Amino acid sequence: MGLRTAATSVALAALAALVAVGCATGPLTTMGSGDPVAERQRLMKNNGANWTEIQNKLKAGNVEGIAVNAEAIALHAQRITLLFPEGSLTAKSKAKPDIWQRWPEFQAAAKNLENRAGTLRDQASAKDVQAVQATVATFGRDACGMCHTPFRVPSQQAAKPGL
Amino acid sequence: MKLSHVKTSVVLGSLVALAIASSATGQSTTKLWTSDVVADRQRLMKLNGASWADAQAKLKAGNAEAVATNAETMALIATQIVALFPEGSLTDKSKAKPEIWQKWPEFETAVKNYAMQAEKLRDAARTKDLAATEAVAKDFGRQACGTCHTPFRVPPPQQQPAAPQQQPTR
Repeated sequence: MGLRTAATSVALAALAALVAVGCATGPLTTMGSGDPVAERQRLMKNNGANWTEIQNKLKAGNVEGIAVNAEAIALHAQRITLLFPEGSLTAKSKAKPDIWQRWPEFQAAAKNLENRAGTLRDQASAKDVQAVQATVATFGRDACGMCHTPFRVPSQQAAKPGL
Repeated sequence: MKLSHVKTSVVLGSLVALAIASSATGQSTTKLWTSDVVADRQRLMKLNGASWADAQAKLKAGNAEAVATNAETMALIATQIVALFPEGSLTDKSKAKPEIWQKWPEFETAVKNYAMQAEKLRDAARTKDLAATEAVAKDFGRQACGTCHTPFRVPPPQQQPAAPQQQPTR
């Protein structure tokens, strides 16, 4: 076996190991589609549905029931930044390039959503009606809007604030 | 260039491409949650349980459509489960059985099944058909939760059905 062949074998083995590691960790936490735009749109759609439900439950006087929806948003929020890998800006995406130009701000905005949703969850669990009302009243602007205003292209028709 | 070298180059090239592709999709993997993986997965499963309880309460109230939100939350959360059971993460606070790691492919299949059942519930709810949604919900505890909890989770001290405890939310 010549030196050159040996070197090639080593390189091959190293690459094979890298591939194996990549495959092992890859599919576990991604949602499987390998399409981050579709994955984050699915996640954000569920955030939106949970937010709609929070408003409905508040109207119906079911304050405690809001906790499950707020916790869903809080847990989803932890995953947001991971679903915006650099370069994942397709024609279907409403993401602004500012996300990657001002990444720390984007991270802070996602963290803010997680914190706000966590606050809402705790207030709902405590059945604190007034606190829940106050948080819900500003959630669209202070939670959703903190990220959507600077980092998302607005819809054609002026979207309802907070959604 | 000899033929064998060409072959090696082709193999190398494809491996490099594969490695890059794997790294790219694997990017959204690391550093979710806190450093306490047992606490993380217990928080996650608690949300699954609460979502299921909320879905059941809605069905009782005859509101099938709203079940879709809970079911989709569960389906999304399900994609995170496997990653939250790294080998060796068995503390005295955990109710996980060592069988998880001894029969890992079965565990993965059970989790995948859970995600699919949640999607089935979501799709039934989206049709707003109460009877159809109830039909999926009827078997959910056994077929979705139980397929994983029965073989892979230590039962609570009091013997309980495989489905998570129900705590009506409305």
